[in-house]
Amino acid sequence: MAPTGSTTTAPGDLLVELSGITKSYGPVKSLRGVDLTLRRGEVLGLVGDNGAGKSTLMKVLAGAVQHDDGEIRVHGRPVRFSTPSEAQAEKIGIVYQDLALCDTLDVASNLFLGREPKRGPFIDRKAMHEQAARILADLHVKVTSTHQEIGTLSGGQRQTVAIARAVSFAPDVLILDEPTAALAVAEVESVLRLIGEVAAQGVGVILITHRLQDLFRVCDRITVMYEGQSVDDAAIADLDIEKLVGLITRTPQPTRTEGSRA
Amino acid sequence: MSTTQTPPEAPAGPSVQRLARQRSLWERTNKATLVMAGVTLAVFVFFALADSAFLTFANLSNLATQVGPVLIVGVAMTFVITAGQIDLSVGSIVAFVAAISAQLLVSGWDSSLVMVAALLMGLGWGLVNGWFTAYQGIPAFIVTLATLSVVRGLALFQTEGFSVPIASTTFVAKLGTARWLGFSATAWIALAVVVLGLVLLHATRFGQYVIGIGAAAESVRRAGVNVKLVTMAALGFSGLAAGLAGLLIAARLGSGSANSAQGFELTVIAAVVLGGTSLLGGRGTIVGTLIGALLTQIIANGLTLLSVSPYLTPIITGAVLVLVVWVNLRGRDLAWFVQRLTRRP
Repeated sequence: MAPTGSTTTAPGDLLVELSGITKSYGPVKSLRGVDLTLRRGEVLGLVGDNGAGKSTLMKVLAGAVQHDDGEIRVHGRPVRFSTPSEAQAEKIGIVYQDLALCDTLDVASNLFLGREPKRGPFIDRKAMHEQAARILADLHVKVTSTHQEIGTLSGGQRQTVAIARAVSFAPDVLILDEPTAALAVAEVESVLRLIGEVAAQGVGVILITHRLQDLFRVCDRITVMYEGQSVDDAAIADLDIEKLVGLITRTPQPTRTEGSRA
Repeated sequence: MSTTQTPPEAPAGPSVQRLARQRSLWERTNKATLVMAGVTLAVFVFFALADSAFLTFANLSNLATQVGPVLIVGVAMTFVITAGQIDLSVGSIVAFVAAISAQLLVSGWDSSLVMVAALLMGLGWGLVNGWFTAYQGIPAFIVTLATLSVVRGLALFQTEGFSVPIASTTFVAKLGTARWLGFSATAWIALAVVVLGLVLLHATRFGQYVIGIGAAAESVRRAGVNVKLVTMAALGFSGLAAGLAGLLIAARLGSGSANSAQGFELTVIAAVVLGGTSLLGGRGTIVGTLIGALLTQIIANGLTLLSVSPYLTPIITGAVLVLVVWVNLRGRDLAWFVQRLTRRP
């Protein structure tokens, strides 16, 4: 149980409520009672040490993994996803760390993979590229052309294309798993700016990251997980990096601040 | 670069039109294919100068007929290889369909039924390959290596190794000798298959997913595409194409033999790879396959005209294959280098 959880807000604002989510893989209890809430237009940082259960929890919410116990409410309605497409139908989008792009297809083809606009039996490439360009321009994604092959893009560009793809499904909830890992500094900036743009459109964003400094750039609130449980939920304004490290490692006061700056 | 009249204070977002603008022809061209087209042209010119019989209409028409089966199966093989798979069984399927179709004709089946049966036999074997590969997760290399052995074996068993003659009065036999505008039915059908392949690969979702699967099957699967079905369809297509080629070869030769099309799969794969389709998957070109098929057959045809020992033909063809793929790889680097030099700041 989260000690500071269950803040009361207007139901319309609340996009997602997870309560008491559990998941076991055989004898391993990956999730042992997680609570989490997400509001419209909010960027929620989901943090915790390796193995805390962040990714598993997000897979549950995205329908890729089925939980054992607990309740998921989306827009106040209880739901249970058995496939990713069911989660997608509830307007929950996720960008996994591996991005799920095809290197030899161009940007537009990747944005519309699996739902290419058609004219008769054929792909309507003109419409596809125009729509892709509009999506990218709206989000200020920096690529030079929708005809560019994904394999020729930088890591940051690939990340932004993957996010743009997820956004183009018009999700209410967007889950980003380590979007800034292994990116150059300037590219981190563009990804963070994009996250801000997405949230500004009213999407609730859940950001999983190990880069704590990113959280202070874009997040409104942080949920901390520890050994399969949600242990803290705090507004970012009430935190600094030392306090946050303390929450993640469950040590009372700042101890490993130096290491966390990397 | 044209300067659009955006206010200077506007965010640096690129304009929709500029983003969606089609790239130049040079940028879109597969450089490996371009190099190969040059090589093919050079070889063509060489033979035209070396032997006066080469550049005659009769020989070029003959060449088109020879290219036909390689091209038909090569187009389908382009899909298989682009999807990151391989089909080693096409030669055996050609022989199987040729032999069994001839037997069916001998046993009194009507030509129309035999033609349908030939296509269905090819498709059937292709789907067997596809099912084991896509739904049972056995690598296509293994599956088609097994069917390579089994399918030809069945044909040999059934015909006891004898060539089965086709009566010249049957429609199938007439198809083998039919000509239109000086070119054989095989050549025209091959051309139609090329057009079909171009459209399928570049203008349909099927082609898009074949490319995507070759690049990252998991990404395509997560996009909600039935990856297994697409993979099976690609291998089904190559089986179907092999069936068609088998029928046409039997029709042209006037007999079906379980011993025909030995090493055919290697010729086809060579043609596809020469054309610039990546053996690693994710990149395929039908135009390239057309060029690759032409190159392999021009070499074979030209060497025959020059009365070179027939035993030299496979040696020269193999050497050219290595040479050309080598040039091909360097060609890609070269194109990249030229692009770097000519790119405006």
